[in-house]
Amino acid sequence: MGCCYSSEGEASEQEEETKRLLEPDPSPPNKALNGAEQSYHNLPSARTDEQAMLSSILAKTAINIIDVSAADSQGMEQHEYMDRARQYSTRLAMLSSSLTHWKKAPALPSLTNQPHQVLASDPVPFADLQQVSRIAAYAFSALSQIRVDAKEELVVQFGIP
Amino acid sequence: MSGALTQGLERVPAQVGYLVISDGAVLASSGELQNDEVSAGLLSSLVSAAAGLRLQRGTEPPFKRLSVVFGDHSLLVTVSGQKLFVVKRQNHVQEPLTV
Repeated sequence: MGCCYSSEGEASEQEEETKRLLEPDPSPPNKALNGAEQSYHNLPSARTDEQAMLSSILAKTAINIIDVSAADSQGMEQHEYMDRARQYSTRLAMLSSSLTHWKKAPALPSLTNQPHQVLASDPVPFADLQQVSRIAAYAFSALSQIRVDAKEELVVQFGIP
Repeated sequence: MSGALTQGLERVPAQVGYLVISDGAVLASSGELQNDEVSAGLLSSLVSAAAGLRLQRGTEPPFKRLSVVFGDHSLLVTVSGQKLFVVKRQNHVQEPLTV
């Protein structure tokens, strides 16, 4: 309820996350020394790494989510509200300007102001329907009879002895 | 609101169903066209195509009603206030169309 999510920069974030996950440990522990102690020390450090990563993800998500219902509790000043509003409206304007070519088909023309009367009026006369069908049949037949007649040679020799 | 929309449609002679469509969504429906979203979609595209045809230049819409005539029934469509009104009417008994 009342939450908007800005997906901007999501791709790069994901990339960053994947990169981090795939990267080997930046500080590989010294394997030559006692293995038991190494695993004992390594485990908490990995865990804190994970913790840090998770909290950074959380922080980023929190920045990207506009929780309208919780906006008051964030202690935002009046001018901060205004700044954000301005920022969001400019971004929206940018997005909508790039989406103009994506608009749906043009609106339908209003054909009548009395739809009920138009629909209740007499149906199209049968004779008219027959005439239209006949004309369409003639046109179809005429089109189907169009063909190319071969009359002359397709390749002509130009005065070659 | 939907009452006012459909009251007149109920009284169309020989109607066996109707649809009121706005922006591709069915606002009201009844009878043989009840919840017929497939017909709604097809008729919407048909009207859009027909409205795009301009046989003569002019500001007047080129037609008032689109009739899709089948053997025993017809679908009549019109547009008013960005809403599509569709009525399915039983045809009078007549010889079938022969071409």
